[in-house]
Formats: sequence, structure tokens, C-alpha cells
Amino acid sequence: MNRRGLLALAAGAVSGLLVRRSPSAAGELRPPGALPPGAFERACIGCVRCAEVCPTRAIRFPPGAGLDAGHPFLALRESACVLCMACTEACPTGALARIPPVPERIAAEVRIGVPVLDRKACLPWSGQGVCRLCAYVCPLGTAAVELVGPQQAPLFHPEGCVGCGLCEEACPEEARAVRIRARPGGEA
Amino acid sequence: MLAASVLTVVGTPFLAARFADRSWPSGVFVGATGAARALGVELLDPLLTAGVALPGGARRGLLVAALPVLLLVVVLGRFFCGWLCPYLPLLAVSNAVRWALARLGIPTLDLRLPGWIRFAVLGVVLGGTGALGVQLATLVYPPALLARTAYRLAFGLGLGGAAVVVAVVWLFDTTVSRAGFCRSLCPGGALFSLLGARSPVGVRRVASRCTDCTVCDVVCNLGQGPMTDRVDAGCERCGRCVAACPTGALSLSFEGRRR
Repeated sequence: MNRRGLLALAAGAVSGLLVRRSPSAAGELRPPGALPPGAFERACIGCVRCAEVCPTRAIRFPPGAGLDAGHPFLALRESACVLCMACTEACPTGALARIPPVPERIAAEVRIGVPVLDRKACLPWSGQGVCRLCAYVCPLGTAAVELVGPQQAPLFHPEGCVGCGLCEEACPEEARAVRIRARPGGEA
Repeated sequence: MLAASVLTVVGTPFLAARFADRSWPSGVFVGATGAARALGVELLDPLLTAGVALPGGARRGLLVAALPVLLLVVVLGRFFCGWLCPYLPLLAVSNAVRWALARLGIPTLDLRLPGWIRFAVLGVVLGGTGALGVQLATLVYPPALLARTAYRLAFGLGLGGAAVVVAVVWLFDTTVSRAGFCRSLCPGGALFSLLGARSPVGVRRVASRCTDCTVCDVVCNLGQGPMTDRVDAGCERCGRCVAACPTGALSLSFEGRRR
């Protein structure tokens, strides 16, 4: 590289540094093991390996070409995460920290999101029926969701939930009462 | 040359098969150009690695993962562009369309952008990655864009934004400047020519056999001048000039680059 090339590189870098980012669209659900918002976007190179190995195709990529185009997100309602941890193993940059597929490690380290229940839509809570699907499919058991009261209605414990979305996927079409949301404050 | 076309033509359906058939163990092969892993060896693109490492997002294993490709680039220079880039088949089509248009008497531009522009682009991409906290290379770098396009196609998701960016690049190359993106705008090509500036591999010319026929200069996509020994770090070591030389005056060899 000649002197002009070096100058161009430096000038380009300086002009690149002047760009400021508009507030990021926090609130996307990232695959298991994802670094906190901000750190994740810095480390992810959009190589699609996580989506390639995902057995349920829960990991998707935005269709557009914008700043977020290279960042995987989870579409849990269509397809839940089965906590196989293959994506964390496939990630080449550590944007998804490696988590061994061991129940204790998964329960302790996976923090995709937290469950939010709309009791007006939930069949047992609204007295429309006996459902319990969420509690039956939950891989974390009573640590994450308990059935309470005479209706045996689900009571979620966000601190014991990994956010895999199996409950959201299982929740009946007519109700769609439980949703996994990003953790407030983006804690990982 | 033959190897280049085999790799890219065979590579794409291979990739599609990998996406489509989940029974392939990911321990054998996972990923695409830019970030692949074959038999446990990470093949990380230096440009994408630099984007992660610069803004302080690097983990310890990252450099180890980037090392195999980095070593290849230091020794072989910009070889990736001429042998492995998945954009190569599209570039071949672009050149064929340019040729056909010329035959039909429809003029196409061949703008020659100054050489420093690609370094400015590299600077903007890496500086902008640091400032924005978002990997910019993956949004403009054809190998990454084509990997995401292959993923969308294999999953039956249609084309998508990455394909649109590639289409813009292709139209630029076809109508404005022959291989102009590769030559003057691609941040990957710029980084590879920087890292491979001391590469001992290059095109050598035996002057006594050369008839000054200019075929080598004409077939070169990247505007190099093998006939007059004007070959710099922008050479992608594709060997097209070597294959095209009618008198066998050119060869790709170690310690071949003479300024």
C-alpha cells in the first residue's frame, strides 16, 4: 500500500467512526448463550451457522438488508427452541457463548427471555377450560411454571425460566396467552 | 482456473445440500465461505475477524480460529478472490454479459476507480463497525451476503435483502466497471492485498518468450499488467493470464512477484 492508500484507510476509518447509531431495536430474542445486547451485535458476523444447525429452525435472520440483517433472532411462536445448544457450539466468534447441553448448565446459563402471561386469554385463568399445556411441555418443570389454585392455572417463575418458548409454541391457537419477551434491561 | 470453477460451481449445491439435509453431522462441515468449519478446523475470514476483534469484542479463541486463513493469505496473497469467492460465477456471467453487449454494439462503461478507494472503503467498514457496534462487513461483503442468500434459498425463504445488495454489485460490475467492485470497492479484497503484500507467490514472465500480444492484460479481471511486469498486491493469483498466454511465457511461482 502506498502513502495515498494509507491516507485513504485512515480517512475512511475516521469518517466511519463519526457515524452514530440510532438506538438499537432491543427486544429481539437472541439464540441461547447470546452475549448481552450491544456486545452481541459487536461479536456476531452473520455467518448463519447457528440457523444452519438449529434442528427446529427456530433461529431466523431478518429478510432485509439493514443494520440488523446479519443478526439471528428467534421466532418462538412458530418454532420453539429445544435447548440442544447446537447453535452455541456452531458459533465461531463467541457471540453465542458455548453452553454444554447438560440440564444444570442450561438451567443456569440460558436466558433467552422471560414468559409473560395474559391471564385474560389463558384458558384456566379465564375459566374457559382446563389446559395445562404450558406446564406439561416445560422442560424446566415447576421451577419455571407451576399449576395453582382450583383451576390448576399456570403461574410462571421468570427467574427459573430459560425462555425456550416451548410453552408459547404449545399454547392453543385460540388463546395465545403466553409469550416470551426479552429480559428487561437486557440482562444476559 | 479449472479449480476455481469447480469449487464455486460444486460448492453452491453442496452448501444447499448441507442446509437441506439435517442428518449431516455439523462436526464434519458447517458454515459457508466467510466462516466455515471443516473437520474441526475453523476457516474464519480475516475481514470478519477484524471486525469482531477491533471494537474489543474478541475472545481468546478468535485469533486461533482466524489463523489458518490468515496464514494462507500472508503466503498466497489475494488468492481467495480468484479461487474461492462465491461471487466468482456471478462475475463470470457479468463478464459474459459485457462481452455480449459489446457484440451487440451496446456500449458498457469501464470506469477505472483510483486504487486508494478500496482502502478508504475498508477504513469506513472497520471504523464504522467500531462506532456503530454492528458488523458492517457482513452487510456489504459478497461472500457473507451470498452465504445468507444460500441459507434463505435452501430454507425456502426466497431471496431477501442480501441478494438485492449482490444484484446491485453485479449491475455495477456489468454496466459501470468490469469487476469494479472486486477491484476497487470490496473491503475483503483490500484487506487481503494488505495482508498479502509480502506474498512470495506471483506471476512470473519469461521476457524472451513474450510476444507482447496483450492477451494476459486483457483477460485479467483486476486490471493487472502481467505483460509489462506490472503486477501488484491487487493480483488475485487466479492464473487466468498464465492459462491464456499463447507462448507459455507466464507462470505462477514462488518468489515470482517482481515489481
